Amino acid sequence: MARRSSDGSWKLFENPTENRKLGTITTAATMRPSIRLLNLEVSSLQSSRTLYVCSVCRQETPPHPLLARQFLRHASNSGPLTERMRRKIWGTDNPPGMKDPYGESVLEKRFRKNPPKEQEEQPVETAQAVEAAVEAENEVVPEDIPVGEAYEPATTWEGLSRVGHLGRWSDLPASETNRYESFTIKKKLTKKGHLALAAHQAAVELCLMESLNKPLTSICEVVEHDKAVFKLLWGCKIQPNAKWGEALVYPDQETKDALVYIFEQIGSASETAVADEPAEAVEESAEASELNEDAVVELESNSPAPHFFGYADVRDKGYLSLPLNDLDTKFAFLKRFSQLSGHFFPDPTIHSISTVAQTVEYVQSVVDPKPTKLADYLSGNQKLQNTSNVKVFTKRQKRSDKDEELGRKKVIEAELRERGFIE
Amino acid sequence: MKRLQLQRWSSSVLSPRARTGGRLQQHLYYSLRRQSTASPALQVESEQLVDESSLNSSIPSSHIRQQPKYILPSPPVEAARESAKLAALHARLYLPSRLPLETLARALVDPSADSNSNFNNESLATLGHDLLTYYTSEHLLCTYPRLPLTVIFAAMYAYVGPKTLATMTREWGVEMAAVPGGEVDPGLLQFQRVAPGTDLDAEPVSNTTRPNDSRMSWRKSMTSRIVYDNEFGDPSKAPVEPSQQPTPGAQSTQGVTAEQASATFVRAVMGSIYLHAGRPAAKRFFEQHFLSRHLNISDLFNFSQPARDLSRLCARENFEPPVAKIISETGRKSRHPVFVVGIYSGQDKLGEGAGASLLEARSRAAVAALKGWYLYSPLNVRVPSSMEDEGAAAWKPVHVDLGEVIV
Repeated sequence: MARRSSDGSWKLFENPTENRKLGTITTAATMRPSIRLLNLEVSSLQSSRTLYVCSVCRQETPPHPLLARQFLRHASNSGPLTERMRRKIWGTDNPPGMKDPYGESVLEKRFRKNPPKEQEEQPVETAQAVEAAVEAENEVVPEDIPVGEAYEPATTWEGLSRVGHLGRWSDLPASETNRYESFTIKKKLTKKGHLALAAHQAAVELCLMESLNKPLTSICEVVEHDKAVFKLLWGCKIQPNAKWGEALVYPDQETKDALVYIFEQIGSASETAVADEPAEAVEESAEASELNEDAVVELESNSPAPHFFGYADVRDKGYLSLPLNDLDTKFAFLKRFSQLSGHFFPDPTIHSISTVAQTVEYVQSVVDPKPTKLADYLSGNQKLQNTSNVKVFTKRQKRSDKDEELGRKKVIEAELRERGFIE
Repeated sequence: MKRLQLQRWSSSVLSPRARTGGRLQQHLYYSLRRQSTASPALQVESEQLVDESSLNSSIPSSHIRQQPKYILPSPPVEAARESAKLAALHARLYLPSRLPLETLARALVDPSADSNSNFNNESLATLGHDLLTYYTSEHLLCTYPRLPLTVIFAAMYAYVGPKTLATMTREWGVEMAAVPGGEVDPGLLQFQRVAPGTDLDAEPVSNTTRPNDSRMSWRKSMTSRIVYDNEFGDPSKAPVEPSQQPTPGAQSTQGVTAEQASATFVRAVMGSIYLHAGRPAAKRFFEQHFLSRHLNISDLFNFSQPARDLSRLCARENFEPPVAKIISETGRKSRHPVFVVGIYSGQDKLGEGAGASLLEARSRAAVAALKGWYLYSPLNVRVPSSMEDEGAAAWKPVHVDLGEVIV
């Protein structure tokens, strides 16, 4: 704090008393580190008299007390140290020259500018206040600003600076861009049949996309198909152990034409086109009018409709054997399957998956996890249930159970009852 | 003899609890039996362990009514399927699958635990006992046709006596319930234990089949034991007339020893195998569990005067009178002389023995000669019951001996 200046006199960088005063007033204000340190120094000294400090610590607190005591002495009254030194040098109470020959520091100016009252009102100094302070610094500030004369209490909100949030996002009203649409369905599929349906649908779609030479992941733009389209997809079979492009087996030519026509739209055109066209393709279906709705729009108006339009399971099991060796296909399939089922795959699982069957198995293992308690596991173990010489108890067997099994529990109870120990 | 349809028979032995009406009968019966007391469940052990008067006053009957299994004197039939112990025992004994667990559970209920003969193993044990003694005695008589009667009795006792059966029960891993009752695991052997401190040999056996059994000083000849006594040569209880038999409702449970209960259980298992799986399975079970036990019959002999017996035997069989000759000797003047004496009947050496004195060696030689005679065993032994097999060969008469020498 004190340093010997070039002219040989002791000079304080900061005015201790003023700083202390400022410090006590603007406790939470953003300060320069030096001021805060000084403040700490002083306050710790003051408190050291009352608080207990062990002898070792007292011994090891080197030169600070001296300095601090000096501060304390000067802190009692009347002006900064420089002022007192000037008085001493000149020998008068009103020494000539500038009041502070070394000039005020930037911080002192800044803090002096904010009246203490205002600081109490705004404990958290906002960015605007800082800016204002910096601006005020550049102006020539007269020494004593008559604040009280300009002050007029406000009667309305008009013209007052806003108190509270300063334009945070969460306080603003919701806008169109803030809207969140989940990539996947809202609720994860749990039923085995539904998972199979999702996997089958994803496989059929990807087979179609593959055979049409379209970007595979673009199928994800269609979150949910129309019922008629889904019915067509559901009717398709997949040849086991075939390539993705050639695996699809259509029930009839009509279905093939319709599906190819629909899926031709998906990659290239916008979503409205995708949904518009099937109306013509599947015109024989009764729900043709509903097809005009966009798939996304349909999702928005998502009432608690049954998953997969009430379909319970797939007829065809050929999709399970489809390979997922090609990385692009694997990614596309997992993406589409995640979208349809709501289950995500961790990276190690993605790495280990090589067929569609493994994907479905993994999701089922997530849905039905193995019981963590051994008792649950044992009681659910079908093998143990079928073994007649093994008995799994649902509750812990205690000594009283053993007594009952041996038949002596009733004797024990009778004896206890006879002596009045139990009722 | 025509084979019997065992399956039809076995239905009468099967527990009537499995049939309709059985449970009703049971309830009626127990309500009759227990109506005088307020504590039906605790009645069983109260007879033995607990002062009855104090119990009757202290136990509320509503407590018992909540747990119906406490009312039954033995586990219900349905419990047999639940018991892991029973299934394990069934598997451990490698019992035929036609023998249901329910019957095995019934074989574990001693008459002292459940006096109702529809639920205890008395009938099974009676059948099993007859089978066991029959198979054992025919095996002994055909294998060793010349055995003295005392040895036969001892061998019978060693093969199927209660001590052996109790040991087998232990070896089979059958545990015993402390007190019988409906809540007891059906895989445990249930019987009413004898009250601790009871002197089992306090009073002599009375009411036997033997006439004048009250006269203790009368000599009981070995031959009379064949007629009057049981297969072990012990006095057997006279059968009680059905009119004098204690009714099931009466307080007749005396308690039996663990040995008796175990023997009854093994016999009941034998009987149930015979009933459910048929005679071949029963014979196989007998061979595997009873005949396979090693019994050194030559240890069972106990001669008091072997030389005299041998001379009588030779006289009876028209052999030349036995002559003892020294075959070799060593250290006659030393502290430990050894004489090897052979007994000759004419040119044939009947036996040979070594002893520290001439007399000892001679008697050992006589014992060896007698054992050689008595322990004769024909080759290719066939027992009469083997004729019951399908397609059995024609019966060739087995060797029948005159019997032991009566001095």
